[in-house]
Amino acid sequence: MKSKAHRHEASFRDPSGFIFEDGGTVKRAINPIYFPVYQALCDNDFFAPLFKAKMLIPHVEEEQTPERIVLKPDQLDLMTYPYEWSFDQFKQAALLTLKLQNYALERGFSLKDASAYNVTFQKGRAIFIDTLSFDFYQKDQPWRAYKQFVMHFLSPLVLAHYHGAEVLKMMQNHIDGIPVSLVASLLPKRTKLSPTLYTNIHLLAKLEAKHNDEYKPKSRKMHLSKKALSNMIRSLYDYIDGLELKQQTEWGDYYNKTNYQPEAFIFKKQQIDHWISQRALKKVLDVGGNDGTFVRALSEDLDLAVVADIDHNAVALNYAQVKANKEDNILPLWFDVAQPSPGIGWVNQERSPILNRLSKWGPEVVLALAVIHHMTLSGNVPFEDSARFFAGLSPLLIIEFPKRKDSWVDSLLQRKREFINHFDHYHQENFESAFAQYFETLEQVEIPGSKRILYLMKTRS
Amino acid sequence: MGYFSMMFLYFDPGLGAMLVQAIVAAAAGIILFSKNLMYKVKSFFGLTKPQEDGIDAMEFEQDEKQPNEEQSS
Repeated sequence: MKSKAHRHEASFRDPSGFIFEDGGTVKRAINPIYFPVYQALCDNDFFAPLFKAKMLIPHVEEEQTPERIVLKPDQLDLMTYPYEWSFDQFKQAALLTLKLQNYALERGFSLKDASAYNVTFQKGRAIFIDTLSFDFYQKDQPWRAYKQFVMHFLSPLVLAHYHGAEVLKMMQNHIDGIPVSLVASLLPKRTKLSPTLYTNIHLLAKLEAKHNDEYKPKSRKMHLSKKALSNMIRSLYDYIDGLELKQQTEWGDYYNKTNYQPEAFIFKKQQIDHWISQRALKKVLDVGGNDGTFVRALSEDLDLAVVADIDHNAVALNYAQVKANKEDNILPLWFDVAQPSPGIGWVNQERSPILNRLSKWGPEVVLALAVIHHMTLSGNVPFEDSARFFAGLSPLLIIEFPKRKDSWVDSLLQRKREFINHFDHYHQENFESAFAQYFETLEQVEIPGSKRILYLMKTRS
Repeated sequence: MGYFSMMFLYFDPGLGAMLVQAIVAAAAGIILFSKNLMYKVKSFFGLTKPQEDGIDAMEFEQDEKQPNEEQSS
């Protein structure tokens, strides 16, 4: 089993098979223990409709021996994790999981796990990526993955509904989902009056606490008819489908708040568009990309633009546009440049850090528009460090530098009050000399009607 | 045989979580029943909107649909 040496770090929990890399291509090996299920799935033409509906990552069977079957799935551009999704992305992932369970039940199968890590976003939509999650449905048996579904999906969504999207970042601390006892204690008392929340959260927490110490689980026979199970799935679907974020404020006002004159805004768009189409760049990472306005303004037909922003509302608005316009080349990412998601889980490698995933994806150019003053003045990150950070992401950088006299910079500086003198280093010459250690400037232009400069830079080799 | 015992080692579904499903499903049954009833009453008065994306909906691309139908017939 030489391929086991290349087994992916996230792929050890399920004995059915594992993910491995073969010359840069991600593949899935199936162990003999899972052969009967896999064969039954194939015999029932289970996969093809899911591929067509873009609900499950498509694969082709590459090898079949008595020891193993190897599948080659479509390759993902960039794997994103639950704590990097907006509320609505999270919701779509939950609904997709329930849809798949419903689909499986109708065909005599069932999802054996319901982890949020089984879903990611590809070509603008949520897609299920764990092909080996399907198992035979056992007659009159409850859903084994039910508690996992509650911990991974229902709990974070309901908590976010009551307490705001920031709660979704809790998933970073709880790789197995948010403990039900914690959710029950955090929810407002009135949620006990909701039949869905009372049964799925409060009663579940109570029964879990009560039976936690029992060591003879097999002594109890549990029956749940298929109809009842289907009702449970359908009701969860309806409930989650109706969940919304309370804090969702008015959008669309973002670019009105900037200090740009319209002509400066148009100039900036055209200049960036020119640089990108001149070089026919196809993979763009927009750091601090807000709701994706800039990448949508590009005339180049991009393969993928990853638009990262710290503001949940911006990410949510971006995803709403991706969904409404059926855009397949924009991936909204909830991302804090000062605190990117770390590696979590087993040996800190089960879920890898976002910076590793981004550099593996390999953007051809990074856009850093109107972020450097925030990084330097709000985040206190020295220019040398931000230069090194950008140089590690991509060979090309388009960066906008607001000069000291820019009104936003001035406002950030005024907030420093008596420490304002500690930020004297924020000026153009320092910026240029620090970035010159890592980059060579190919072009630079002043944006007319503003106190800002646009640079096109290339990393020094 | 070995297959199912392995599955049990994979992760703990939680005894409480297995037991609670009977009650969850019963409550879900009542919710769905009353929803259906409301839907029927509303549609009687012409107050319903067509549902676009329910749990059974599978969205196929327009251009891919035709060859499929030919294949299956």
